[in-house]
Amino acid sequence: MINTKKKLMIWLEQDLISQQQFEAINHYERTHGAQKNSYWWLYSLLILGSAIIGLGVISLIAANWAVIPDTVKLGTAFGSLIALAAGILLAQNKTGSYWYDALITAFIILCLATIGLISQIYHINGYWYHALLLWSAITLPIVFYSRQLFVNFLWVTLFLHAAVWSGVDLSSTTLSGTGDRQLPALFLFASLLAAACYLLTRWNKLHLQSFQNSFYFWFQISGIIALIFIDVIRSGGEMRSYELSWFIPAYISAAVLTGLIIAKPGYHALNKGLLTACIILLLLYYHPFILFDGETRYSFMAADQATSASFWTADDIRAPFLTILILFLYATHAGNIGQYRTFNVITFLIGLRFVILYFQAMGGLAATGVGLILSGLMIIGIAWFWYKSRSRLQQWSEGLHE
Amino acid sequence: MKSRTGLILALILPIIILAANAWLHHQQRSSGETVIFPIEGFDPRDLLSGHYLTYRIDYGVAENSDCPVSDIPASLCLSPERRIYPLDELPETCTQFIRGSCDAKAQFISGLERFYIPEQYADVLDAKVRNNQGELVVSVGQSGNAGITDLLIDGRPWKEAVEAAE
Repeated sequence: MINTKKKLMIWLEQDLISQQQFEAINHYERTHGAQKNSYWWLYSLLILGSAIIGLGVISLIAANWAVIPDTVKLGTAFGSLIALAAGILLAQNKTGSYWYDALITAFIILCLATIGLISQIYHINGYWYHALLLWSAITLPIVFYSRQLFVNFLWVTLFLHAAVWSGVDLSSTTLSGTGDRQLPALFLFASLLAAACYLLTRWNKLHLQSFQNSFYFWFQISGIIALIFIDVIRSGGEMRSYELSWFIPAYISAAVLTGLIIAKPGYHALNKGLLTACIILLLLYYHPFILFDGETRYSFMAADQATSASFWTADDIRAPFLTILILFLYATHAGNIGQYRTFNVITFLIGLRFVILYFQAMGGLAATGVGLILSGLMIIGIAWFWYKSRSRLQQWSEGLHE
Repeated sequence: MKSRTGLILALILPIIILAANAWLHHQQRSSGETVIFPIEGFDPRDLLSGHYLTYRIDYGVAENSDCPVSDIPASLCLSPERRIYPLDELPETCTQFIRGSCDAKAQFISGLERFYIPEQYADVLDAKVRNNQGELVVSVGQSGNAGITDLLIDGRPWKEAVEAAE
């Protein structure tokens, strides 16, 4: 409120708004803004109170868990589910009720807890991601009825984790508990699946728009993580014992994603080409043996140079080149369709990758005073170039299909 | 689309599916034939993983009747002869069997290798299972589905055994 008033004062001084408009906005913010704030605090206190009661109940149950009959445990779980369902129905018609979404959140969390309880009582031997997949399927209809973003975000987050792990588990017979060997397959599949789901939510006929922001968030996060992960692995010349079969879910996902991109009416041929190229390059980046063979040109900190790999065949040259190319193609697409925030983040990442590339190749210089000065100048130079070229690049990308 | 009837259905769906799931497992437990298998720990691996015990089940299969190959769906025939077969090669003469799979080490996995326990009894049960005092009571249905009914320690239900040990 204070910030809004300060801004209004400045706008009034600059003659951007009239005195009448100033007073009208100020009055509106004081009444509606304050009301919103008080609801926020009420909501927080309600959640806090409920959480403390819940903890107390859980402690009591945990202390007597062994002596509570299974039927009582299951009866309590299903009784609570029915009570919450009744509460949701009662709260549905109250407009602006925070209780409605809070109850839906509690209901879907209790569904997950009940799956866990059934597993525990009947000693069912399964994986957490299969339980989450079942939970995602049975709670999807109720999530459609939520009004706040949080419920959708919670569902999308757990669904993506379940789908990614289950998919890689299906194609891999030896998925370990932590999945550390299959991490590349998990990261690649996560980013492609999130992107495919995001594009699906943009199809109006499917009525999935409420999931759009959540899938977009996870697409961006998982995409950046996938790119950083494979860059680190390839730049280090590491050749883990990847198996092509682990990547089958990612390849299927990539095919679906490419199909969705090509079929999307809102994209020009340029956007379709740029995004398809990004997908193909990312798949090549992760492919076990097509582009990378484990040979590097520069050792860590460039203390001594390995002579086995030529400049163009070295993994630590190909990796940054691929990273920058993928980022550049995506930045061009983002700039072209007017996603300026994404464009800025991606171009910043390109600059950052250049700095890292410099340290990879010239890392030995950082051990000397002159080297440090040169490195500092390099960072400032890249930052200045990024700042100066960003607008021009953005304008160029915007005008590409005209 | 977002009608009240739709909301009611959306709320009922998970409750019905979860209740059906619990009921099916309950039926499995109560209607199957009871079979008891000795269980053993496999040192030096920790048997405790969170709130459950993991162990190796001794199915009483002769050494030369182990899994024929790894990573295949399989069935463990219990009667008339205890032997592991690939799923599609189970003989019709087998009157009682458990469905499962052969893992990467060609060991039979039935999905019964986990028993949930309250945390306060974890150490006691861990020691007893490690000492080969544990047996698993399993209910085996006609279609080859199996569910755990109880854990026995020295022939007694685990709750009685830990109470006696306290």
